[in-house]
Formats: sequence, C-alpha cells, structure tokens
Amino acid sequence: MIKTAAGLFAGRAYDGISVDDLVSHLGVHRNSLYKVFGSKRGLYLAALRWHLEHQVRPLLTKVSTAPDPAQMLRDTLVADDANSELDLLLMAAVERAPVDPEVADEIARTLRGCDAAVDLALRGAAIGGDAPSELAYTLVATILGLRLRSRTSADLSGAGIALFNHLHQTRR
Amino acid sequence: MAQVSIHRDTLVVEIEGLDKLWALKSRLEIPMVNVRGATDDPGVIKEPKGIRSPGAHVPGVITAGTFRIDGERIFWDVRDAAKAIVIELRDERYARLIVEVADPRATVALIEHAIVRSTN
Repeated sequence: MIKTAAGLFAGRAYDGISVDDLVSHLGVHRNSLYKVFGSKRGLYLAALRWHLEHQVRPLLTKVSTAPDPAQMLRDTLVADDANSELDLLLMAAVERAPVDPEVADEIARTLRGCDAAVDLALRGAAIGGDAPSELAYTLVATILGLRLRSRTSADLSGAGIALFNHLHQTRR
Repeated sequence: MAQVSIHRDTLVVEIEGLDKLWALKSRLEIPMVNVRGATDDPGVIKEPKGIRSPGAHVPGVITAGTFRIDGERIFWDVRDAAKAIVIELRDERYARLIVEVADPRATVALIEHAIVRSTN
C-alpha cells in the first residue's frame, strides 16, 4: 500500500491527489487511512520515507559498491527509465520540501547520501581518482536536473550518457 | 461552519451561527499533542455517518453533531462539503472532527505546522 502511495505521489503533485484518489487507488477505507496515518500528509511522509529507504538507498548502495562504480553510476542513474526511482525524491524536493520542514530534512539527508555515493563512485574507477569533492555535488545536481528535464521531454535521454562519456574522456 | 484557531498548545474549534443548535456544541478545545493531523477532504461527505447520538443529518443540507460508527465517535459540522476538513485525534472523546471551514487549505496548513512545531 505504501509502495502504491509512493508511486502516486511520484507521478502527481501532492495537492493534485485527493483523499478520494488515495482511497480508490490504495483500496483502503477512508477511516482506516485516517486511523493509521492521521492525515494525507502522514501518508505522504510514510510513502516518502519508504521510497528513500527502499528505492533510493539501494540505488546509492549499488553505485558506491559496484566493481566499476563509474559504469554503475552511468547505467543506473542515467538510463532512460531507471531514473523513475528518483521521481518522488525530485517531486518532494521541488514541491513539498519548501513548505514542510520534515520533508526538507528527509530530502537534505538523502541528497547528502547521494553526494557521498557519487563521490565514492568517482574515486572508484573510470571517471578518475583525483576528482575534487565538489564534483560529486555537481554531478548529483546534474543527474537530478537531467531527470527533471527528461520528465518534460523525451529527447534528453542521451544527455546523461554524453555527460558521463565526456567526464570519462577528460579524466583519462 | 467552524472557526479553527490555535491558542498556545490548544486547538480551538468554535461552531458558528445556527450550527451550534444542530451540533449541540459551541466550542471544542483539544491539546495539540492529541491532534494527529488535518486533511482537506471534500469527498468525506459521501462516507456513511453512522448513528446520531445526538445530532442532525439532512442529506445535502447539513450533517452536525456526534455520530458513532465502527466503535468510534465522530464530530460533524458540515453544510458545504467542498470546505470540509478532517482533523484526526488521539486519546480524545472524538476519534476525529469533520468540520466545514472558510479556507480549508489555510486551516489544514495552520494545524499541520502547529503539529510539526509541537513535535520538534
């Protein structure tokens, strides 16, 4: 149920999802939803935390522990559809974090985790062991930006790969 | 229609006008620590109301007063469903309050921000 809620909140704005939408998509009784989560926001926080724990964190672990982290970074974070696992993170950062301090805390903590994972990936192999620490921060911002842009246009699918190829070449 | 405000650590719900008569209640005070959340929820009006004890229910006109359903006591004061909000409570006489307010979005934000403040 939480996973379904995470999918719903990843696809549409928080205010664009009514309790009627939640009740019909999740197949729960309205009173049960209130009893368990307290409010729509309570369900949203539970869904966001599930997403960060079960979708984003494994992605970061995969990136930072892969035999060739740079290749893994490219494959997992830049591939056309794989980035859908970042969509709720993105949506939360854009629309809820500015108005909800608890969401802002969760997002800030996760972005620091992204920086750390990408930093490990950069130091691990192909992109370069002497990468400055700021590069991870820049790269995470770029990856999220590319995903944001790809939600509005199908033509940007190659942009991430081009970026990684460029980094790979310049670090050789 | 209800007027919702927060005074120090207490949520105050004041029932306005003639609704006081139908709801048989003019004011509710709930410690913020017992408020779990608030949601604007126009669709809640379609839910079964349960048994009046006591209250008034004229479909499409007014739902006001205390209703019991699924072992829970719910307080209603709604005429215009588009402006209905649900306030979920814990350790209170009522499991939840379903009331009509002038600005549902602003009222929900007021309550949710107060919850975040009281838990920090």
